[in-house]
Amino acid sequence: MIVASLHIGLRVYTPEEVWRALVANDGSSEALIISGLRLPRTLAALFVGAALGVSGLLMQGVLRNPLAEPGLLGVNAGASFAVVFAFAVLGVSGFLALSIYALMGASAVMAVIFALVATARGALTPVSLVLAGVTIAAFVSSLTQVLIVTDEGTMEALLFWLAGGFADRGGVILWSVGPLLIMGMLVAALFSRELDVMVTGDETSRALGIDTVRLRLFVFGLSSSLAGLSVVIAGPVGFIGLVAPHIARLMGGQSHAQLLPRTALCGASIALVADISARRIVMPQEVPVTATLALIGAPVLIGLVRTSRLRATA
Amino acid sequence: MTNIVLSQSARQGRRQTHVARYVIPIVALGFLIILATAIGSSWIGPDRVIAALVGQGTATDHIIIWTLRLPRVALAILSGAALALAGLLLQTVVRNSIASPSVLGIVDGAAVGVVLFLWLCSNENNALTVSVHWLPLAATCGAAVFAFSVAFLAKGDIAQPARLILYGIACAALAKALVTVLVILGPVYRSSQALIWLAGSVHTAHWQDAAILATVLFCALLTILALCPACEQMALDHETASATGLSVTQSKAAALALSVILTAAAVSFAGGIAFVGLIVPNLARALLGASFKRRAVLVPILGAAMVLGADILARVIAFPLELPTGSITAIIGAPYFLFLLMQKIKHGQT
Repeated sequence: MIVASLHIGLRVYTPEEVWRALVANDGSSEALIISGLRLPRTLAALFVGAALGVSGLLMQGVLRNPLAEPGLLGVNAGASFAVVFAFAVLGVSGFLALSIYALMGASAVMAVIFALVATARGALTPVSLVLAGVTIAAFVSSLTQVLIVTDEGTMEALLFWLAGGFADRGGVILWSVGPLLIMGMLVAALFSRELDVMVTGDETSRALGIDTVRLRLFVFGLSSSLAGLSVVIAGPVGFIGLVAPHIARLMGGQSHAQLLPRTALCGASIALVADISARRIVMPQEVPVTATLALIGAPVLIGLVRTSRLRATA
Repeated sequence: MTNIVLSQSARQGRRQTHVARYVIPIVALGFLIILATAIGSSWIGPDRVIAALVGQGTATDHIIIWTLRLPRVALAILSGAALALAGLLLQTVVRNSIASPSVLGIVDGAAVGVVLFLWLCSNENNALTVSVHWLPLAATCGAAVFAFSVAFLAKGDIAQPARLILYGIACAALAKALVTVLVILGPVYRSSQALIWLAGSVHTAHWQDAAILATVLFCALLTILALCPACEQMALDHETASATGLSVTQSKAAALALSVILTAAAVSFAGGIAFVGLIVPNLARALLGASFKRRAVLVPILGAAMVLGADILARVIAFPLELPTGSITAIIGAPYFLFLLMQKIKHGQT
């Protein structure tokens, strides 16, 4: 818990740092810039980071796979393909409609993953699942690429969004999706005890009177909704869902009641750190936040494989 | 006696089906070559294509086909063959049929080499300060660095291909991020050039590129011929292979290096064309069985046919726009790979 409080300290501290960096960058600390551009950006990073972290935690729980993550499993790619498809082919432009398509795309990929897990009947090792996910992601993002190349208007409108990032996200998007994300995370918190039981295994949960199938489907839906909505705000942003839950686990208490808030905090602070470094590495230009996240996330993945006792043979 | 005769005739029959399995892909490749040459901004009928190829036909046809269309066809064939061979070698070395140059981060490593080269070796006027012929070397260096870091990370776990693949995925992500950062850091003109190249395409082909790639491929084929017995042994487990008296480690290193060079050469001319190295060796296994020697013959043909076919599709689907060849191979390859993965899992081989 000491570690946890330290972490909360970090989270409070990070916005301060953003603030100071901003003031130094602008020279003149114009309130307009800060409240109009920087604050939404910071909030977007907070929401998306927390939501993706929780989404990753839920996926890891429901699949009992420490490597599950919306980015690696292709769920983010599915959501972005659905958005591009709706925009380019169906001519959908309303923001809420696009969110619904993002949800459908995320859920579709999640359903494919679920089907793979179901057909393999527990024989699917973490590595095979990640390989399957990476393959699905490659497939879906190739489809996205084809759509973008064939439709130049779409490319201009969406390329920036597709690169992933927290900058210049409209306030409207933020104020409508942000609460939804918070609601999703709260719902997850309500079910934290069921999640704990689920991780221990189907037999235990059934013995305790939990409808495992329904719970699993519910958690699947919840995690893909969180991922899909995050994609609507920030585009496909990877690795937060992988890194945040593992840092949260390192900090002690393994019950979901403790893990969920900690994962959310970790996710939010990782997103902020990544966003800040994205701004600062090559000033005055910006690196896409996806790149900085990969620079942070890939070594974590390597460390995870080195230290964890993955029962993985492929 | 009758038994022996019977088995001999059975063997003959089998050999005939094997021959058919070589001949059909070759015929298909020939057909694709003619089709790929015929398709373009103006359609040139197959009869005129063949006439121009054998040195007859009109002068216009001759120029269009020999200077505009054939270099592209040649580059597609050569890079497909190189990528597929690289995949076969890699899968043999790590004894895992789901490994591939792109899964292990070698393709993205080569991309880092290329972008770094474009960035470091261009002056303020956006002109290259050194000859562009060094590009494949830069790609090879980048690919080698990433291949060896994956190998280094996995050193203790070489018996566990699972970890190897996870390290590969992590390193590939790292390399992709590096490429993004480098593209932004680099000069604007070079960046846009790098972006076009990264998408994976063979549309800016010259005979010169094809010649370099052909040389690399030819040398690689000779080396593979020499490595053939060793590669057959590698399919066995480590102890058995050592017991046959081969220096397994050395031939493994040689095969790995060859795989890196082939990947880098293909990638430096054609960009990141995905899934060829992954699925073509598996396709060859489905057709011919696990023998390395037989597959080494078929794999380049199939790889060439796959990339050429994908390139034709990339040109035709959204005509007059061109799609990246790499996305077509991914759309074809990914479902097949998922199918392979599920089959492996069903047979409990994961």
